[in-house]
Order: sequence, then structure tokens, then C-alpha cells
Amino acid sequence: MPSFKLDGRDVEFSPGETVIEAARKAGVDIPHYCWHPGLSVAANCRMCLVEVGPPPGRPALMLNVLEYDAEKGEYIDAKKPKLQPSCQLGAVEGMEVKSESSEHVKRARAAVQEMLLLNHPVDCPICDQAGECRLQDYWLEHQSTDKRMKDETIRKPKAQDFGPTIVYDAERCIVCTRCIRFSEEIAKDPVLDLRDRGNLAEVVVAPGRELDHDYTLMTEHVCPVGALTAKDFRFKARVWFLRSSQSICQGCSTGCNAFLDYDPRDQTVYRHRPRENAEVNKFWMCDKGMLDYRRIHENRLLEPTISGKSADVGAALEKAVELLKDVDSDKLAVVLSAQHSNEDNFALLTLAQEHLGSKALFLAARPSGPADDILINADKNPNTAGATAVCGSTPPKSFSELLTAIGSGKISHVLALSADVEEDLSPLSDLKALVVLSTHDVGLAKAATVALPASSWAECDGTFVNEKGASQASESAIKPQGASRPAWKLAGAIGMRLGKSTPWKSLDDFRGAVNSDAAAAGVDVGVQPGASA
Amino acid sequence: MQTEPLGPNKVVGKVIARGERKASVQTYVPEIAKGLAITVGHFFKNTKEMVLGQRNDPTLEAISDGINTISYPEQRRPYPDRFRGQHRLMHREDGSSRCVACLCCSTACPAQCIHIEAGEYPEGDERRGYERFPTRFVIDELRCVFCGFCVEACPCDAIRMDTGLHPTPYDSREQFIYEKDLLMSFKGRDGSQVTDNLRAEPGEDAHPGIARDKVGRH
Repeated sequence: MPSFKLDGRDVEFSPGETVIEAARKAGVDIPHYCWHPGLSVAANCRMCLVEVGPPPGRPALMLNVLEYDAEKGEYIDAKKPKLQPSCQLGAVEGMEVKSESSEHVKRARAAVQEMLLLNHPVDCPICDQAGECRLQDYWLEHQSTDKRMKDETIRKPKAQDFGPTIVYDAERCIVCTRCIRFSEEIAKDPVLDLRDRGNLAEVVVAPGRELDHDYTLMTEHVCPVGALTAKDFRFKARVWFLRSSQSICQGCSTGCNAFLDYDPRDQTVYRHRPRENAEVNKFWMCDKGMLDYRRIHENRLLEPTISGKSADVGAALEKAVELLKDVDSDKLAVVLSAQHSNEDNFALLTLAQEHLGSKALFLAARPSGPADDILINADKNPNTAGATAVCGSTPPKSFSELLTAIGSGKISHVLALSADVEEDLSPLSDLKALVVLSTHDVGLAKAATVALPASSWAECDGTFVNEKGASQASESAIKPQGASRPAWKLAGAIGMRLGKSTPWKSLDDFRGAVNSDAAAAGVDVGVQPGASA
Repeated sequence: MQTEPLGPNKVVGKVIARGERKASVQTYVPEIAKGLAITVGHFFKNTKEMVLGQRNDPTLEAISDGINTISYPEQRRPYPDRFRGQHRLMHREDGSSRCVACLCCSTACPAQCIHIEAGEYPEGDERRGYERFPTRFVIDELRCVFCGFCVEACPCDAIRMDTGLHPTPYDSREQFIYEKDLLMSFKGRDGSQVTDNLRAEPGEDAHPGIARDKVGRH
């Protein structure tokens, strides 16, 4: 691989890469605002300037400048090298690039930083970006001096409504055009543009339009400063109180990699934001996915119910066992869920097939919805592929087929993992027993004889298989809410009370069992035993 | 008598002879009388000083000789100007709180005793978009260690500890949870609730910056 020198260190690159890209891959962060690895190059912030040595045998490109000499008390003629923006500069074999090690680069960065802050209102205390703001970080790293401008700053509009999700603050904007390029290049909806120039410049929405495409929250996410803020997150939390866990988006079967940002003190999830994965979602997520975290705290089933009345966990488990014990295995159906992890589905499957002898497998899933060719998939379930793969050679039938089978009297008992099914659930009233493990207080849980509260994806580790067949681990963020427990633990508890061998104590334990069972059945469910957090 | 070494570390003790048992010691009476004489002597001395107004000035206490008694709470030692007492929230000219709910104080607080919930001004308010405000501002005075970090951290001069008040004793824990209204009702030692620090609201002439439409285009 060809390489060039960055601050005396060899950095490899593949042909066509820019200096900043190659440096990023080598783990060196050249400071930048406007450059984003997923967007086109604008080279307008001038923060990533580097000094480049001349080609062999050629003189260096130098500029004549006036420099203030404090000893003489006057300006004197001086020379300085012409600096290059590393985001736009193609890497060349043997090139000598100086970033941190160049005095000229240091001074240029300090100057750029000072200029970007000339008209900045410095309202960090009331800015939601504070704590993850490039202006703050780079001020400390590259400037660390006060502003020298004594003039009044330019006041620009604050808190402009850009659309249903985004608020824009023109004073904080550094006009890096990331949001504009994102809308145009990734969301394919050029709804944002720049107006005016210099210290009057601001981002505007196209006349007659709102910023309302499916990826509006990403414009806030790419904004390196606090100019764009999300209405959903606005004033809710300070980012330095939040911790992140690596999760998988549950909105559709694309399986975008995400971070769940939560406050460990009040065990509340505040934000869902994309996590880089070149194979799946690159750097992006859609609005639906980013707002999907709200389901973690909304409409949850937090205590077990027996015939609609709340009960304690022990009583509910006893009741479930009583209902499922000695049932004619031909009359017992098992419903897996495309909204639960492989672990949960496998536990239920093991319980049903090996310990209860059921052969009728069905799959509960959300109905499909709109799709696009960017990220959004029509299948609105995060784990359809996984739940199907778990079943091995006999794929599960659809949920509507279960309702037909109940209607014709073939099925009298059902053990189900719930999902937000939209079918008409009235045939369920013919059942003798319906035991449901559910995260939310949805139709299936409401119709259940015994409903057991299961943890959502934010509260337990799990493995999800996306539409392309990639199995991805999702980490828990907060503790299980209310009386909820991971569904695989609940299935194990029912098994134990039935006197069967389901001794899954820990997740590692269980994942080991999953893998050996799955291997025996010739199924790859992609569950990593060591991947638990 | 040499005692046996005691314990695992074999500590060797030395026996000290008991004092002589004289009749005056054994009966206790003369010793009690001696003690009471000292007490009664102080009683008369204090009474005389109180009646004649010869008590030490608590202000001069630190520089006068000997140990002085201050009859708290009738007499109080003057506190230094920067004494950190009970918190208070400062007012703006219009009587609302100066706090913008930035959570800098609760971040700086080592005792984690400050709880703030931020809200946005309603549509149409001039401060909407510029600022947020605390819908709740709660200090748990039981947890507070009176370090003053919150005052240092505040960028808006919104919280101060210059009330000169002690942490007040109460008989239940709930009473130590100070809500925003209570914190805003306290006055400084000079009786003020508004600070001298300039705070120009949006729309006022003194608000920093030049409006964009007043800037010439180049």
C-alpha cells in the first residue's frame, strides 16, 4: 500500500483517498468542521489546514506576509508556507504532511477558531450542543485565547422553526453546510440552502417548504455546533450526564447500528443516534428510528396480569404453568416474535418444542409500511430473519394463519411472544389459554389470560438479524423497568416450574446453550456467547 | 507484681500503685465543696459582668486575650462578608428568576443536591429561543455541603449564598427540600433580590450585538 508521512509517521492510503480520510483510518483526527466522511468535500471551514512539503526538487510554495515584530514594534516582511485543506488534498506517495508539528498550522487553526467565534453568542449554558460541541472542544485544543475583536457581534435570528423536528439558531451557525449537503446528497431532498455571505450568512429552508423529509434529525446530528437542535431532545438533558450503549435500531429490518443515550441516575433513555457501520447504515439513521427510543418508556407492560388484573410475578408464572401443563401438544401453538431478539425467540422455541411438544409455530410481526431506497425497509420488524432462522427447517407460519386455525378449533392454547400485530384479535377469545410474554401493553397482552412483562431491547442484551442476514448484538442500556425481565429468563422460569431442564442463569450460560442447540439443529443464529455486556 | 503478658502481641503492663486513701478523699465532701466554690465564683463573676455591662464585645473576641464566652443567640459573632449561608435565587427586574436552567450548578455540585427541570418560554415570549428557564429548581439542603461551587459555576449570577442564614433546623426531612419559590423568597444581607450585574433582555437597547438588518452589506 502506498503511504505518506503525517507528522513524521507513516500513514497508508488507498489511491484516491484524501489526506484527512487516510489519517482518520489510521486513527489520527485532523480537526475539522465541514468535512464529514459520508458527505462531499466543501473545504469551507479551513480548520483542517496542513502544511505540505514540496515535491522533490521543487521549491516550496511560499507566501509573502507582514508579521508583527514585538521587539522592533513594527511590521516586517516574512514568508510562510501556503497551507492546504487536508479534506480536499489527495494523498500522494511519499508526501510529507505536517499537522500538529507545524507552527504555521497551529497558528492558522487558532486564527480560524477565533474567526468562527467572532460573532458566536457563546450561549453554551443554554445550548443543547454544549458538551459535544466542536467549537468548545477545538477552542480548548487549538485556541485557548480570548477574542480580540472589540466590536459588537452581529445578532441573527434564534430558534427558527425549520420543520416538525428541527430548530435553527443562526447565531451559532458556522456555515459549514453539512446539513445542506446531507439533505441534498443523502436524503435526496435539497430543501436547505445558504443565504447571504460573510457574517450575515445563514441556512434557510426553501420557500414554501419545511424541513420535513424522513432524515431531518440527521441534519441536527451532522451539525458540528449547536445551530440545529432537535425539538425532541431540546432542553431535556445535558449530554455530559448521559451514557451510551451500543444498540440496534428496532424500527425496521435494516437494523441500523445506534447508540442509546441514557441517564444512569434516573434510568431514562433520552436519545437514539446512529453508530457508524459501513456495511449497514454508514453514518445515518431515519427520523422514525431516531425517535423510536420513546417506545422504551411509553405504553409498557410493567407488571404481570392474570385475566387483565395485575398480579405478582410468582403467581403469574404459577398460573401460566397451570394453563400449559398437560395440554394436548397438537392443540398448543407457539408464537414467536419478529420484534424480539434471537435469544428470546430461541428460549420460547426450546420451551415449546422440547418441553411442551408443540409443533405449530407462528410468527407475530408488525405490518409492513413505507420504504425508500436509502435506509427505510418495508418490513417494520427488526428480527424477522432471525426469528425465522431460529426455527430451522420448518419456517413459522404467519399470525393470520394462527387466527384462522383458532377459528377452526384446531388450536386451543397459545404461548406467545408479543408484537404490535394489527390483525383483528377477536378469534383469540375462543382460546382456553393465552400466555403472552410482552414488552408493551398491546392488543395481544390485553387479550392474554396471563401476560408476563418482558424487557425491551434497551433493558437486555440481544442479537438481531437484519434483512441482509447480518446478525448484530445489541447492548442493554438501563435496568429492566418495573417487574419486567428478559423474555428468555421468563421462558426459562416457566420451564423450571414445569419441571424441565431450562437452567439458564446468566446470558452467557444461555447463549452457550443456544449455540450448541442451534448447531445440533444445523441452524446458525449468530449469537455470540462472549458478547454480553 | 509482674503480670503475665496479655494478648497475642504479649503486651507487658506496669502496675501503678493506687493513691493514698485519706479520710478527706474517701468522704468526697471537701472535694465537692472545692469544686462548687469554683462554680459559684464564676456565677457571681458572670452576674457582675452582665449587670455592669462588662461583657466582651464579640467583634473583638478574636483579638482580645483569653477565652471569651458569647451568649448565642442573644449575642452573635459577626460573619465575614463572604460567609456562605443558605442559598437564594436572584431576581430579574421583572421579578422572574435569573436562572436559565443550564445545569452548570448541579454539574459542579459535589453533593448532587441540586435538581433542575428546564422548560422553554411559551410561543410569543421574547425570550423564547434565546433562553430556557427552570420549571423546577430544588435544593436538598440536607445534602448540601455549603461549598459554594454552585455560585462559582453559575454563568448568570442567578444563585448566591449571601443570605447570611444558617442551615435551618427542622423536624422532618421534607422541610429541607427547598423549592424554587422558597429559594426566590430569600433576600441578601443587604435586603436586595436583584443584582447590580447588567442583564439586558432581548429587545432592549443594551442587549449585546447589532441587529442584522442594521449592518451594511458589502
